[in-house]
Amino acid sequence: MTELEKNIRTEAERLLREGLVDVVVAFRKEDAPLRPQPAFFTRVEDLENLVYDGLCANNLANYLTRFPDETRVGMLVRGCENRSVNALVVEKQHSRENLTLIGIPCTGIIDWRKVVEHTGEDILGYEDRADALTVRARHQTYQLPRQELLHPSCQRCIHPNPLSADILLGEPLPEGDPAFIRERVESFEALTRAERSAYFKLEAERCIRCYACREACPMCYCEECFVDHNSPRWTESGTSPAGTHAWHIIRAFHQTGRCTSCGACERACPMDIQMTYLTDKLGKDMWDTYQFETGLDHKTQPPFAAFTLDDKKHFQAGGAQS
Amino acid sequence: MKYILPKHELTLLLERWSAGHAVLAPQKAGAYTEFLPFGAQSELCLEEPHNTRYPPKALFFPQSEAILKYKRNTGQLENIEVKPEKRIIFGIRPCDAKAVALLDTVFAEGENQDPFWLARRAETLLIGLGCHEPCATCFCTSADSGPFNTEGLDALLTDLGSEYLVELLSERAAGLFDGLAHASPAQQKSAQTAQTAAEHAMPKAFELEGLKDKLDRVFDEEIWAQLAQSCLGCGVCTFLCPTCFCFDLVDETQRDTRVRNWDTCMYRVYSLEASAHNPRPTRKERTRQRLMHKYSYWWDHAGKLGCTGCGRCVRYCPVGLDIRAMIRKAGAYESEVLHAN
Amino acid sequence: MEQKPKIAFFQCQWCLYAPEDQEWVDTQLPVNIHLIKVPCTGRIDPLFILNAVQGGAEGIVISGCLPEKCHFKEGNLAARRQLAEFSSFLDYVGYDQERVRFVWLDLQDRGRIQRELAEFERQLSKLSPAKTLATRIPLNEGGAND
Repeated sequence: MTELEKNIRTEAERLLREGLVDVVVAFRKEDAPLRPQPAFFTRVEDLENLVYDGLCANNLANYLTRFPDETRVGMLVRGCENRSVNALVVEKQHSRENLTLIGIPCTGIIDWRKVVEHTGEDILGYEDRADALTVRARHQTYQLPRQELLHPSCQRCIHPNPLSADILLGEPLPEGDPAFIRERVESFEALTRAERSAYFKLEAERCIRCYACREACPMCYCEECFVDHNSPRWTESGTSPAGTHAWHIIRAFHQTGRCTSCGACERACPMDIQMTYLTDKLGKDMWDTYQFETGLDHKTQPPFAAFTLDDKKHFQAGGAQS
Repeated sequence: MKYILPKHELTLLLERWSAGHAVLAPQKAGAYTEFLPFGAQSELCLEEPHNTRYPPKALFFPQSEAILKYKRNTGQLENIEVKPEKRIIFGIRPCDAKAVALLDTVFAEGENQDPFWLARRAETLLIGLGCHEPCATCFCTSADSGPFNTEGLDALLTDLGSEYLVELLSERAAGLFDGLAHASPAQQKSAQTAQTAAEHAMPKAFELEGLKDKLDRVFDEEIWAQLAQSCLGCGVCTFLCPTCFCFDLVDETQRDTRVRNWDTCMYRVYSLEASAHNPRPTRKERTRQRLMHKYSYWWDHAGKLGCTGCGRCVRYCPVGLDIRAMIRKAGAYESEVLHAN
Repeated sequence: MEQKPKIAFFQCQWCLYAPEDQEWVDTQLPVNIHLIKVPCTGRIDPLFILNAVQGGAEGIVISGCLPEKCHFKEGNLAARRQLAEFSSFLDYVGYDQERVRFVWLDLQDRGRIQRELAEFERQLSKLSPAKTLATRIPLNEGGAND
């Protein structure tokens, strides 16, 4: 057990014992190798199963919408999770008063598939240390440098620190450079329209409509998703090009001003489909046009929930749109 | 009949088959392996520790398939006929082949037989490759199958190092291996040793004996709520599962086509009725449904276990849920809590 | 003879102030322009636009009232933000942004809609192909689907 895990358990125990929360949402140890799982802790005696390391790959804010507002939720949050929680509070999905955020400055989530790829082997176990990942594979043990194994969203992370945690465990880390995300979008924009289209189709058409991306995303909590609409039928539900294109375009678009670039969607996808290049473009536009960044606080309305007559400056009255 | 196929002659053999069949074999597609048409440029992926990501059931039961067209103004229907070419699926693993045979009970038996499934099955041969190094997420030996199980296969290859031992299993594949040398008793023994070693290398995932009854007895217990807690309710496990077969029929009205798509019991809308009643209202009922279907109800409707232990659901669950652990816990609950009382 | 480009024309029902303009749209719209009348531009969901694009639309025209003149007060304000961003997003995945035109009309704009549509149609042929996302039209029509 690492120092940090110990501190998390101590904090979780305190919150439960003192009746400050009804549940602590965190992670428990893996059943399948490399896969610690999200878990809801309600009893102190279960906390011995609580773990935290770089293979804890899910955005826990996703589970917030499971709890009714009255439930006092304690939640482990890293940088992106805190911003997702803020975005959910803005959308009134839970009241801030009934939330206790245990903040962890984050050194990045390791992509388990990269671990498999690096070793080329069947993995049996691992240990995450600050600088390296020890991986026990079937034929040998490896020491792998952490940085190379991070999920791309984490390699581009701007806000590793939870921005509004109630309890902070660990020293704050230096903030990342917004250029990381911006540059990636700009280099895609620099491709020709035909190249962009070809890439989009190459990715989207592998989609098997499992909606793992949707279910892993904290901001996709609609009771009825647009894909469930039958009358009228705007999008196809199968794996045809029309269906898969529509799914990726519209799901990304519904995240405009709401996505925190956490990458949970890509990590959930069983077909390794790239998606953050879509939402990052929308995020960049929200910054450029409205100076808005998702989740920096739990009060500011996202751009599509607000509009003003002043928007006129983005349009020429009586002419083609700018 | 048992033959020997030297590894360096494999591609020649596949090329020979290609004269009369479309040959599909595991090849790299981006980051993962898929059954792709075998051609001159093909690079086979047979040594990987794990299986194709997408299940080969799709080769018989495509994820999205047009089954009917209609003329909008006249209501005239146009049947879609499937005329598949002759195919050989090479390198399919025993878990997946058994799964195809299991799906025969759904699509090819009884009163309602699926013409699309039947047409493709009739024209396809399955040539299997056994697994000499099962991976950490495999559990076929616990799921009434094994790394060299022969159910569903027309022939099975066992890797002996520099050659394969080929075991012919059906008449339909008889001509495919003409000209190959027969396997010597020593080579056959070698194969058997490799097979037994592979079977023993897989730890027991759970006790299958008596499992159905245990699960039936814990059906109403709260253990399911706990087991289902972190489940996202996505479709990864069901869509990657080689034995899942649920489907949805939709009329794509803008294309005047009726399409059959894979469906999943993990979605809320799967069991949502027009009245708004949902017999599986929460995650608990739906996650329980998946386990119960595979490990109990399949016995009821087909007299067989509905899972072949391929491990895809374990490997690709976005939240790391492990069906083996869930089964163990449900079984243990029955023994330690229910039974003890 | 070259085929005229298919255009999807989303018209807010209030924006054509001159009765003769509305009548022209209702009865004399060229056959290649498909009219979809909406109660307000605020009703236009990006899904409608995507649907039109996937159906082979080579141009999208959205006409509505001037920002401060919306019949429903703020409908067109919401539309502006969303639909402008959506057309930019469609460009990102390959559908030329120039194929989406917004026309905000005022009381004095008699006869303007006809001119806008005609000019838009002329300009379309100069743009990069629209078929890349047109997945719902059959292959022999130049579509991109299976």
